[in-house]
Amino acid sequence: MRILLADNADSFTWNLEHLLAGFFRARVEVAPYPPERVRDFDLLVISPGPGHPREYPAYAPLLDSGAPVLGICLGMQILNEHFGGTTERLPGCVHGRAEPVDLGGRSLRVARYHSLHAATLGRGLEVLAADAHGLVMALAHETRPLIGFQFHPESFLTEDGGHCLALAARRLGLS
Amino acid sequence: MPLPRAASACLDRQAFAGLAARLARDLDADLLLSGAGWPGEEACLAGLGPLAEHVPNPRDPKPGLRAFLAAHPGPALGFLTYPLGLDLRGVPSAKPRALPPGLFRKYAALVSWRHSDGRLDILGADPGLTRELARLAAAPPPLPAWNPPPKAPAAASLDRDGYMRAVEQTLEHIRDGDAYQCTMSIRFGRDFPARLGPDLLLRLWLRRPAPFMAWFRHGPLALLSVSPERFLRLDGGRALSQPIKGTASCLEDDPALAAALRASPKEDAELSMIVDLMRNDLSQNCAPGSVRVDRHKAVFRVDRLLQMHSDVSGALRPGRDGADLLLDAFPPGSVTGCPKRRALEIMERLEPHCRDIFCGCFAVLRENGDLDSSVAIRTALLDARSDRLDFFAGSGIVVDSRPELEYEETVAKADNFLRLEDL
Repeated sequence: MRILLADNADSFTWNLEHLLAGFFRARVEVAPYPPERVRDFDLLVISPGPGHPREYPAYAPLLDSGAPVLGICLGMQILNEHFGGTTERLPGCVHGRAEPVDLGGRSLRVARYHSLHAATLGRGLEVLAADAHGLVMALAHETRPLIGFQFHPESFLTEDGGHCLALAARRLGLS
Repeated sequence: MPLPRAASACLDRQAFAGLAARLARDLDADLLLSGAGWPGEEACLAGLGPLAEHVPNPRDPKPGLRAFLAAHPGPALGFLTYPLGLDLRGVPSAKPRALPPGLFRKYAALVSWRHSDGRLDILGADPGLTRELARLAAAPPPLPAWNPPPKAPAAASLDRDGYMRAVEQTLEHIRDGDAYQCTMSIRFGRDFPARLGPDLLLRLWLRRPAPFMAWFRHGPLALLSVSPERFLRLDGGRALSQPIKGTASCLEDDPALAAALRASPKEDAELSMIVDLMRNDLSQNCAPGSVRVDRHKAVFRVDRLLQMHSDVSGALRPGRDGADLLLDAFPPGSVTGCPKRRALEIMERLEPHCRDIFCGCFAVLRENGDLDSSVAIRTALLDARSDRLDFFAGSGIVVDSRPELEYEETVAKADNFLRLEDL
């Protein structure tokens, strides 16, 4: 299995690389944004990163290519905006805190680092998890292999990053 | 290749302080000193008689640094400046720089002193120089009496209003999702007789020791550092970083205050962000599955301050070395912010001054590939041409920071650093 991890000049990318390599027992190629069209990868992972999804237009063709995509934080917001969803400021922000979320039939503590959130949902997307206030914590496309997490499975504050990746792998048809 | 041992002696702390100050003042020694009384005490080092110097190339620093380390015997002592970090991370900066990007030196002789038993070793192959050092070590000159220079007003690169405006703009960037955390600093300048620099450092080393202290000369300039924070250590293939976030003033050990520091949600979140950032910076060159966090939110006291930190460690990937570890993780995440590159861009735009050595690092690069390094905070730049001392202070800005409190904290840090009267 080959994984392409697109790095949006983030500071958690290598944490994600370690988590992915350990879970999928796969080679992870880390490529800076904008990623070139890489032919034979089995999974594209869009890293977290600074700013707003509109700053990252180069992902559009990759999201329409049919390849499985996992988006983390900004990566999830990029997925959502691609299908017409909107991203807005989150009053107060949540930075560096672990909070419980129900994910894949289990409640676990996950790390949150975000100033923005998915305010409205894009077409064809469904919410997989939300926080106590109804903020989107995980979403996926109803028919395509696309999934996103608002939280950070790669953080040391997240209880079980492997559980999050297992859910993503099932949803993307990789397990 | 190690330097041969030429002589040994036994000195108490007071005697070593006198010797080290003399070496720095009259023999142009560079010093990397470990302060007493913290869990990670290391040997104190003085390098004398520079054999070779190396300035890292900002475009591609690793090959040149590796070649320099291999070409000469003994460890290298030196520093990397913050603007080199901007170059390495691709952040443009047109501000005038007082220093080269970094500087490492190899020496004809090295003096090493151990806290645990006072053992002093003189290493080197230059008989004239090692004999002179042995003679000085046999009867170390006392540290001169301390006559603090008169209080001098400090000029600041940002006044209260300017600093608060910069913090407010930083907060807007944070609310926009550009960063979770940034640091905002002020550069201060005041009159100070440069010749007193070594005495000041050794006075601090005796009375208000910090874990990582440094004295480094470059032409008419000298760098003086009293840092509490380890950046990176590499020891037999195991990398360790000990980022600090969260401080509280305290004159003596106070378990209640330490507990309050650990319980603060703001300090907890700040430290957690930097732990994840340092995990990332180690993971780039460490083997998957090897990176771990230990002693999360441990508290230690240094120079009347409680400091909260964590241990982040990992095992180097095959084929990687100290140059990879140090330069890929530079500048230190605890003093940049997160995500690092965007935080650097924001700070570069909002700070009117160049940080120069501030938020860079001091390092010893050993001949076996190991290294140790500090984060250059509580660090000053002395200019012998103008008898001027430039020093810096800053604070971490997060979403719930209040500009006036951050300003007060920054000024308090600067005042504390320059309390010279009671040494």
